[in-house]
Amino acid sequence: MSSKSERRLVVGYDALTDAAIMAGCRFFAGYPITPATEIAEEMARKLPKVGGIFIQMEDEMASLMAAIGASLAGLKAMTATSGPGFSLMQEAIGFAAITETPVVIADAQRVGPSTGMVTMPAQGDVIQARFGSHGDYSIIAIAPSSVQDIFEHTIMAFNYSELYRTPVILLLDEILVHLREPVLMPDKVEVVERMKPSVPPEEFIPYGGEIQREMPSVGDGYNLLIESVLHDELGRRIGTDSVKGSRMIKRLWNKIEENVEKIAREEFFMMDDADIAIVAYGSPFRSAIKAAKIARDKGIRAGVVKLVTLWPFHDSMIKKISEQVKAFIVPEMNMGKIAREVKRAAGDAKVINVPKLGGSLHTPEDILSAIKEVA
Amino acid sequence: MRKLDFSHYLAKKYMRTDMLPHAFCPGCGIGIIQRAVLMAFEELGDEEWRKTVFVSGIGCSGWAPTYFRVDAIHALHGRALPLATGIKLAKPHLNVVVFMGDGDSMAIGGNHLIHAARRNIGITAIIVNNMIYSLTGGQLAPTTPMYSYTNTSPYGNIEPNFDLMELMKAAGATYLARWTTWHFVQLKNSLKKAIKHKGFSVVEVISQCPTYTGRYILRKPDPRDYMQWMKDNSILLDVAKGMDERELEGKIVVGEFLERNDRTEFSELYWSLIKKAEVKA
Amino acid sequence: MKVIEIRISQDLCKGCLLCVWACPYGVLEAGKERNYRGVEVPIVTKLEECRACRLCEYRCPDFAIQVITDKDVEKLREAEQMELRWQRRVELAEEVGVSE
Repeated sequence: MSSKSERRLVVGYDALTDAAIMAGCRFFAGYPITPATEIAEEMARKLPKVGGIFIQMEDEMASLMAAIGASLAGLKAMTATSGPGFSLMQEAIGFAAITETPVVIADAQRVGPSTGMVTMPAQGDVIQARFGSHGDYSIIAIAPSSVQDIFEHTIMAFNYSELYRTPVILLLDEILVHLREPVLMPDKVEVVERMKPSVPPEEFIPYGGEIQREMPSVGDGYNLLIESVLHDELGRRIGTDSVKGSRMIKRLWNKIEENVEKIAREEFFMMDDADIAIVAYGSPFRSAIKAAKIARDKGIRAGVVKLVTLWPFHDSMIKKISEQVKAFIVPEMNMGKIAREVKRAAGDAKVINVPKLGGSLHTPEDILSAIKEVA
Repeated sequence: MRKLDFSHYLAKKYMRTDMLPHAFCPGCGIGIIQRAVLMAFEELGDEEWRKTVFVSGIGCSGWAPTYFRVDAIHALHGRALPLATGIKLAKPHLNVVVFMGDGDSMAIGGNHLIHAARRNIGITAIIVNNMIYSLTGGQLAPTTPMYSYTNTSPYGNIEPNFDLMELMKAAGATYLARWTTWHFVQLKNSLKKAIKHKGFSVVEVISQCPTYTGRYILRKPDPRDYMQWMKDNSILLDVAKGMDERELEGKIVVGEFLERNDRTEFSELYWSLIKKAEVKA
Repeated sequence: MKVIEIRISQDLCKGCLLCVWACPYGVLEAGKERNYRGVEVPIVTKLEECRACRLCEYRCPDFAIQVITDKDVEKLREAEQMELRWQRRVELAEEVGVSE
């Protein structure tokens, strides 16, 4: 990050769209849906000014397919939606995963299921972000917890999608998208650019190696065969060969799952001597920090683990902390989804989930009472 | 890699010969449409071929462009057109040609077809109409004739069809043609026009599926009888205009239905809009 | 323009016999021998009748039949070269293979 930067009061969707454009995004296809509509509206205003393309498609499936098409044609692309639209996009997310196309999907979560509580925040899509599409694939999902996070994590999302040739889900909630906070926006950020092929078309192998970072665009003369069926290194269908098929699926899975240590990010607050760990992400994080501070004042050694990447889930980090603390507390605006992941990774350690439903955010007292139970 | 022994000029020049023989049934019309497309490009020239991208849906026709030695994207069922829209907007100079089946384009993809036509985006849609869902084994399609017996209409089909040309005309497409695989030369000429045409062009090809439509619906499992049927039951548009509905029942009206150049192509409109925004910025 | 030969591929032909049906001059006939697929590959019985109308080519769905006149020889040779380059590319990629 460069030295010349300015601190401004910015609203969530503004930070997201500015960050996307700074990361190089030049294509947005979307469909209006509360509470993500403002993201589309801002992109409609900002993208043409930088020579980018905005289009409102006829539905969410078309939105993500158009973004994938633009990405295959060489542009960094994204779309934004909420729960109902996110459900519609799952098939296309699987398509982006199998064709290894970089694309960013922002999900401003609201109370579900179905139409739910349209204007109220929730975190109910966090497992769907990982396992929503059918079949075996792996994906990266990032959950910002403040508007500064939205700015930085949007750029991270675009960079990860290029580094790992994968769709990346940006999991927000309604509060964060509409929240106004001071944000430090540098005028220069680190951006991972798409790698152009280093060999001529006669020698290029589209899906070679563990991750093929070199990605020519359609229309560049590389005669790409981009398939939605399971395919080999040249894109030709595998048909019924189980050996080749399982090899290809493992490659898609391991591409991200085996690189957990490089991809996963989290931040620690007061964790050095903590014996109770609050694992939080998204809007509940700020209540968690306050609760931990109040607990410390009362002499309870509480600390907070802020998850930045939700997927791939950082099992080893949770396991290591489980040897240090006597309990995990996981406040979520859902019935307890990441809490299950923490429980799975923590082994025998005690995991208490603190659900908050119906669109209301945890108060520090909600989390504090859970802390007091185990203190 | 097995070395095949064949001497076909177009196949050697334009196809991924390592994937031949292609997977279509004996006598299938899709192979004929592939040849028509390649002949159209042979006549349009190398430069046009080199800036062409194919996108296809899922179905028998979805496999057609995967055999071509040029960028080809085998996308999702019904979602080829939005993907093609993204490509055309990002790289407006490319020829974007989309292969879809009748179920892919008119059933699951019907909405996208209407909006692509409404936008008049510069895509050439080749709709391979074999009046059935062939790849899944012979189920009802929106184009299956009334009262036919298929695997999902064992007591007879009670769903009527719609005329794609009328729908596309109303939605705003700017080049429309329908031919059968029997009308080879006319098909090739329409394809050339459709590819060069700037707006949204639709070429519907009534194609034979001897395995399902031939066997179950028309009782003509031999592709030669099927093609004879297509020849005997096709009526040119100009002739059909003078006939009434009863005479046209069960017939295939072929020809060039529409050609208009008064609507601006979408990506052109978009880039002129950007100029306006960039000036304001 | 002289018709040199009509080549029908044993590997690609699927025996639909559309070419035989299409020919207006009776040049082709269904063969007695069956290929590896078990279908009757057509044979050329009356080459002298062929006028290179290419209706057989237009009707064939499998790229299996090619009428070769003296004007086509050069084009076909160029296409063979292009195909060889493509085959080399495929062989190279298959040698490298996909990682475990």
